[in-house]
Order: sequence, then structure tokens, then C-alpha cells
Amino acid sequence: MKALMSLGALIGVAGLLLLGGMIFDVVPSNTVRLVEGYMPIQLLLEVACFVIGFTGLSYMMNAMGMALPRFWQGIGFWVFLMLYLKFRVYPPIPFSVRAMYGTVGLVTVFMWISANEEDWNKFKQPILNVLDAQTGMNRLLRYAYLVLIPILVGGFSYNAMMPKSEEPIELRTVHPAPPASTKVHGKTYTLQTSQNPYRVNPEGKYDQEFSNANIVEQGMGRLMKPNANPWDDKNQGYLKYVREGGEIFFQNCHFCHGDNLNGRGLHAFAFNPIPANFTDPGTIAQLQETFIFWRVAKGGIGLPNEGFPWASVMPPWEQHLTVDEIWKVILFEYWHTGYYPRTWD
Amino acid sequence: MMDSMTQKAGIVAAAAFGVILVSSAGYSPVFSQGLPEGFKKGELAPEPSADMIEAGKRVYFTKCVWCHGVDGAGDGPGADRLWPRPRNFNQGTFKIRHTASGELPLFDAKKPIPGQNDLFETVTHGLPGSAMPPWEGILTEEQRLQVLAFVTTQLVKDRKFTDKQSESQTVLQLAELKPKPATDESRKRGSELIVEKKCVECHGMEGRGDGNAFNLKDDWGFSIQPANWHKCWNFRGSRQDPYNVSNIFRTFSTGVNGTPMPSFADNTTVDERWDIANFVNSLCERDALGNPLPIDPLTDKPKINFVIPSDPVEGEIPTDLENEAWKKAPKRYVAMGGQITHKPRNFVNRLDDIWVRSLYNDKYIVYLLEWDDRTKSVAEGKLPWAPTQVNIDVKEQDPKTGEEGSIAAQQNNYAVYNDAIAIETAVKWKELPAPIKPRYLFGTNDQFPVDIVKWEADGSLRAFKGTGWDKDFEERDNYEEAMKLLKAEWVNGRWYVMIQRPVGNKKDQDYDEDTFFEVGQYIPTVFFAWDGHNGDAGRKMAVSAFYYTFMNPPVPQETYIYPVVIAVGVVLLEGWVLTRRANKKKGKTL
Repeated sequence: MKALMSLGALIGVAGLLLLGGMIFDVVPSNTVRLVEGYMPIQLLLEVACFVIGFTGLSYMMNAMGMALPRFWQGIGFWVFLMLYLKFRVYPPIPFSVRAMYGTVGLVTVFMWISANEEDWNKFKQPILNVLDAQTGMNRLLRYAYLVLIPILVGGFSYNAMMPKSEEPIELRTVHPAPPASTKVHGKTYTLQTSQNPYRVNPEGKYDQEFSNANIVEQGMGRLMKPNANPWDDKNQGYLKYVREGGEIFFQNCHFCHGDNLNGRGLHAFAFNPIPANFTDPGTIAQLQETFIFWRVAKGGIGLPNEGFPWASVMPPWEQHLTVDEIWKVILFEYWHTGYYPRTWD
Repeated sequence: MMDSMTQKAGIVAAAAFGVILVSSAGYSPVFSQGLPEGFKKGELAPEPSADMIEAGKRVYFTKCVWCHGVDGAGDGPGADRLWPRPRNFNQGTFKIRHTASGELPLFDAKKPIPGQNDLFETVTHGLPGSAMPPWEGILTEEQRLQVLAFVTTQLVKDRKFTDKQSESQTVLQLAELKPKPATDESRKRGSELIVEKKCVECHGMEGRGDGNAFNLKDDWGFSIQPANWHKCWNFRGSRQDPYNVSNIFRTFSTGVNGTPMPSFADNTTVDERWDIANFVNSLCERDALGNPLPIDPLTDKPKINFVIPSDPVEGEIPTDLENEAWKKAPKRYVAMGGQITHKPRNFVNRLDDIWVRSLYNDKYIVYLLEWDDRTKSVAEGKLPWAPTQVNIDVKEQDPKTGEEGSIAAQQNNYAVYNDAIAIETAVKWKELPAPIKPRYLFGTNDQFPVDIVKWEADGSLRAFKGTGWDKDFEERDNYEEAMKLLKAEWVNGRWYVMIQRPVGNKKDQDYDEDTFFEVGQYIPTVFFAWDGHNGDAGRKMAVSAFYYTFMNPPVPQETYIYPVVIAVGVVLLEGWVLTRRANKKKGKTL
């Protein structure tokens, strides 16, 4: 038990040092990398690690006779949460969202410290002590608070009333509802029934299982299957189309969507909304191929209003590519990310 | 491919020229054991294992082949629309190294140690300012080493990393050389040295890369541009740490192989190199307090704030950049990307940012736009189209995989058009419920048009109405008199343009065509920029995302009164709590 707790304490100290270093810019903020596509889970795990660390830490301090009063534990944990949200989570979340999390965190902390009468009294005690001002130190504190609190509150309200030019928060629907059908180059495609004509097996039949067996492998790097190289000259069918799609991708799309299809292309930094990250499990992995076809063909300008068609720089690719080329690019995108298109059933 | 005889002759000639240059300069280079100062002899790394090479091939054909090509000749399908072009590995010419000029870079498939493995660091951090992304977090460390094992043994064809006969390693001992503190004195000496060492001939008087920008070619005959020292985040060798002076010191000490950038190791002391690096580093854009700009780890460019605040001034808006009001006005970084939504697309975009400041008074708003452009371009002769035309039929080139006729080969060979900049604001933005805006490219339709103010380097300042991406502009000829060009100057690779326009109001102005700038409101604003020497015209241009012009209102009186009232209220509350507590303790209740 003790060993376990000291391990926890070690984790806690290391984590706090890291976070502190990041806040004060002593440690580069990329020391612990955020892993592409797994960020939410990673952050949750990190917080869990911290909680384990704190448990260990408080146990050890107890054992050493330097127990931290419940009062400071509660405040400390809440402060930690706010710092973590502000300095660790990337891309940064806006203040309004942090305020929401902060409130939830505060409620949680209150529930924790008021779980039973005894704990609650322990928590209250330091506050009451200052109010009563029995000792010299507490009297000093009481006067300090008496002066500081009005100044702080006044300062905050002054700050809040000062006219500010903060960026307005605009929430955009990333995957709006698709239309039933879309007309591209004079032909109407029903989204429910259309299929990618290049997702075929060696017999030339539409076969998602065959193509799924030849996409790149999941996991770090997402490398191609050793025996399925689209650059093999002998290729016919699916892998040949993947290569053709890749050629189109690297002549047209990578400028924004990036060499690794992660939305970090050469021009991406200038645009807002940022280009889609196909390696994120929340984009093409959960969409049907025909949805992608509609998005590619019609581009940003073809979005409904909730998708912000005025701001998107995504070209309506029907202006630049043929229908066949669009299908091949989509084929390549699924191949390269190692995702399966979602099916209707 | 170059004929090998001419190549040899070229090397001999270059060597002879080098000898003459060094001896005629009459400068005695600093050597220790025959090596330039700060360098030591290194060992060639052992050959990577066959397993690693085979594994690397798989990485290469998944990730790299698309730009670098099947044979590593830098001619993959993506190559043609890129400039700078992807590296041609065949000659073994690599830019960012710790090794002396002309030598192969450091690479050891067993040692992924920063400072001792140049190629590994290039793959890890990418080459900012080019299409080469950082592969850290995408490929594992092992995969990065594997792919390099494949590239160095199979795709570098003219040289061999393990051949002791032909290759040597003279390694810059960067870890042992302590950077010199960047004192004023050091920077001043650096500023003198860059003139003495002729850096300014290519990099320009202010270091904006505008000197001799047209005649420079790389080893493959593609035109190449000197670095702009003010954008350190675009330095190829910045290793995602752009304000680190050591990176500049390294590049300056070892040169950039394959380009006209030589190594200065032989004719400068280490001390002098630190002075120069300190000076070059000091030129990189910084915030108002002189601190490095915060860099966005997702893009490796400065972080963007989408609000462009405009401060109020009493009376005339000053036109002098040195005026206190302009110096105090917040300066915003506006990122620019190539317009690749509609044809003709701008794949090679040379204007990647502009800096915007703004001031207003009761009648006018003034934008001060500054951006780096290596060349001042004024159209030669009459333009072949009307300035209102957006659908100029500039034929878009089909991508080819060959080098001839590629976009890169065409760079700096375009007919020269006007440099230009435009500010697009939404008309009737108040009638569109937020966040809806007219489309960023020339408006939505007749009902929701945009107001475009465009300045061109021929001195013209015009106002247009845009009603859609596929519609020609409508010129608003009566509006030009209302606007004023306060400044348009190109100095040492930077344009300074100051445009004044009426703030407008709903009553007197034509609200159907004219943007009404209201104090304290977010007015959607987009910027367009054209580089005349890049063949930019019509829709071939650089665009920004949507920004907001925000005219800071003068501070209202209440801001000072209410907080005091609130503070007094808190004091009263405190008194109440204390008395209550005291009474409770005494057993009394209120």
C-alpha cells in the first residue's frame, strides 16, 4: 500500500512540476505531446493520473505528519483544474467554456468536501477562524481581506466594464445534414444509393471488404500493408486507382489538408475554419463516401448556412475535377488514413 | 541531368574562383588544425542494417513518394505545383547541416540525438516555409530513422554516406559553443558585419530578402529566394524554434548546400558569427514590448488574433508612421494563403502575411498595411484586361512531372503586373444576423454584396462592389473622391500603404453599396494581396480568412463609477457578515 501510494505521490509531484514548468515557460509546452486524434482520451487519462498523484501525495504528507488541511486541498484542486484547462489543453478553449468547466469543477469540489458533516466542518473551520479573529495572525488576515476583497471585486468589475474587442465566438456545424441528392457535371447522384465506382475487387465488382483489406494499417504512422503498395507498376484495379487518387490529392488538396491528411497543409495556417483533419476519427471515418462526394464536389460554397459557407475556402471541386477524379481522391483518402467509409446499414 | 564533365569543370572553376576570392580578400581565415573555428573532424556513421532499409521503403512509399518521387528525384506528382520544390535526393545535396559546406549531412540510423543527426531533425521538425511538414507525432522515431536509412542508401545515388574515400565529416561543435549574449554592442557589430560580409547583397538592406532576388538559382536551375530575416518562423533550419539564435549561427556557419548561400566558417571567427546571428535574430518580428511572438504549435506560425482594433483619434489622422498614435495602435498579424478556391489558383503564394493597424476619427477610418514583397512591381505597359475583371482567363497550367515548364521553373519569369492590396468589407453586415456574412470571395449575390477598396502599385485607389465569385467587379466611380491614399511606399522589400475611407453612416451614404463602420461593432473584413512579379492578377492572389475591424469606443464614464459603487457595497456586506458572526457568538440573533 505504502509503495503504491509513494508511486502515486511521485506521479503527482512530477505532473505538478511539468505543469508548473509549462505555465512559466520553463519546460517547452510540447514536452508531453498531444497525440493526433486521441487528444480527448489522452487529456482525460492525464487528469486521472493527476488525481492518482494527488491521492498519493496527500497520503504521503499525512504519513509524514504534514497533512494539508481539507480547506487547502479543495481550493488547490480547483485551481489545478483551471490551470490545466488553460495551459495544457490545446487548441485553447475559450474563456466562456472554461468558466463552465470551472463551475462544474467547483460544484464537484463542494460535493467532495461536504460529503459528511465532519469534513464540512473541517473545511469551514479556517474561514470561521478568520472571521472570529482570535489570534493575531487571524486578525491581520481579517483586516487584509477586509481591504483586499473590495479592491479585487472593484477591479474585476472595472475590467469587465472596460470596452473590449475579444473575438466573437461563432460555433459552426462541421458536418451538416446532407441533401438527398446532388447534381455534379450534369448528372444527379442520390446520396443513399450512389457508390464509389473505383472501390472494386479484381473482378470489377463493388467490394468494400476487398478494399478494406488493402488500406493502410491503423496505429502510429499508418503505413501501407507490405504487399499492397499502390506504387507497384503491376497493380490493376483498386490499388491503381488509389495511386491515381493520390496523385490528384497531391496536386490539389494537400495545400490545405496536408501531406499526412491531418489538415496542416502549407496554406492551412491562414484559414478559418481550419481545413478538416481526415486522420481524426471524427471526420471521414464516421461519414459515408457519398457524403464526402457531395462535400468535395460542392465545396464550402455549397454548405448550408450552419456550415458557414461564406468563410470556407474549400473549393467546389466540380470546377476543377471530373467526377471520376473526385471518386478516386475519396478512395485515396480512405486508403491513406486507414479508415472504412461508413455504410448505410 | 547535368553532364558529368561540365559538372566537374564547374567544380574546378568554382574552386578556383573560391581561392581567388579568399586570397584577394586578404583575410586570414581562422584555422585550428586546418579546420575552421568551431569545427572538428567527425567519423562517418556505419551503414544502416538491411532490415531498416527495407522497413524504410514501406514508410517512403506510404508518405514521401507523393512529392519526392519514386526515384527520390524530387519529381513526385505533388512536385510540380510546389515552390520551393521537394528535395531531389539523388545528388546527396541537403540544406540544413552541422557539417561543412559541400559535405553530406549528419545521419546515423542508430542515434536520433538532436544536434548529431541533421536528417533526423529535418524529418522530425519539417522545413518551415516549404511543404515539408514536421513528422514528429505522425511517424514514430523508429519509422523516421527507417525511412532515412532507405533514402540515404537507396535514393542518394551520386554519393555514398559510408564511403571513406570520397566523404568526410567536419562537424560544427554547436553544443560546445556558448551563444554570445545578445547585447546592443554585439548586435551593432553584427549589423556592420552583414554589410562587410556582403550578406545584404542578397538578403537586402533591411534583411527582407529583396537583394538580387531575381538572379539566384539552385543547383538544379530553379530560381530561389534569399531568406527574409523578419520571418524567422519560415527559416528552413528553424527546427520549430524560430527565435533560437543557435539555428541562425548553424546555418551561417555551414551554409545551405545546393543554394547560393555559402558557408562563412572560413572567413569569420566564431565570435563574429554570434554577432551576426544575434543581429539577424533581433530582426525577426516581435511584439510591442520586444518579446518574441507567440508561435502556434499547430501551424508553426505566429498565433492569430482575428480582431483588428482601431483606436480613436481627435482631429486629423496622422500620416507619419513615427507618430505616437500609430506607434500605440495595436499591430495585427494577418495570415495570407494562396487563393486556391477558384481558377486561376495561386499554388505558389509569395505573400504569406500582412501587418495591419488602424485608426479612426469621426469621419474617416485609416488602415495602415505593411507587407514584405521582395520586388516592387508596376505593370509594364497597358494591362491586358480591365481592373474590374475577376475572371481573367489566365490559363491554369496542367501539373507535369517533368522539370521543364513546371511552376517552379517559371518563377520570376512572369510578365510583371501591379502589386496590389485590397480590403473587402461586408455591406449591410447589420442586416445579416451574426455569424452570417457575405462570402469571403467577392460577396454572395446582389442582395448581399461586398465593398472592395483596392490599391494598385500604379498609384490607383479604386472602390468596387463585388456581387459573387464569378461576377466581375462593378466600379464605384463616384466613391473614389471620398477616399484618400495617404501613403504608398516600397522601401527595402516592404510596402507601406495607408488607405483612408469614410466611416459612412446610414443616412448620407449609399448603404446598398457602402460599408457602414459602426463604433463598438465587429465589421467583417477580408484582405487580398497581389505580388506583381508572381504573375498575380485577378483571382490569382493571396487571401486572408475573415477578420473583424473593431473600432474601440472611447471609454464611457460608467466604467469608472460603477466599480467604486460595487466596492463600497462589498465593504457594507463585509460589515454585515462580521457583525452577524460576532452577535451569533455572543448568543444574540438579529
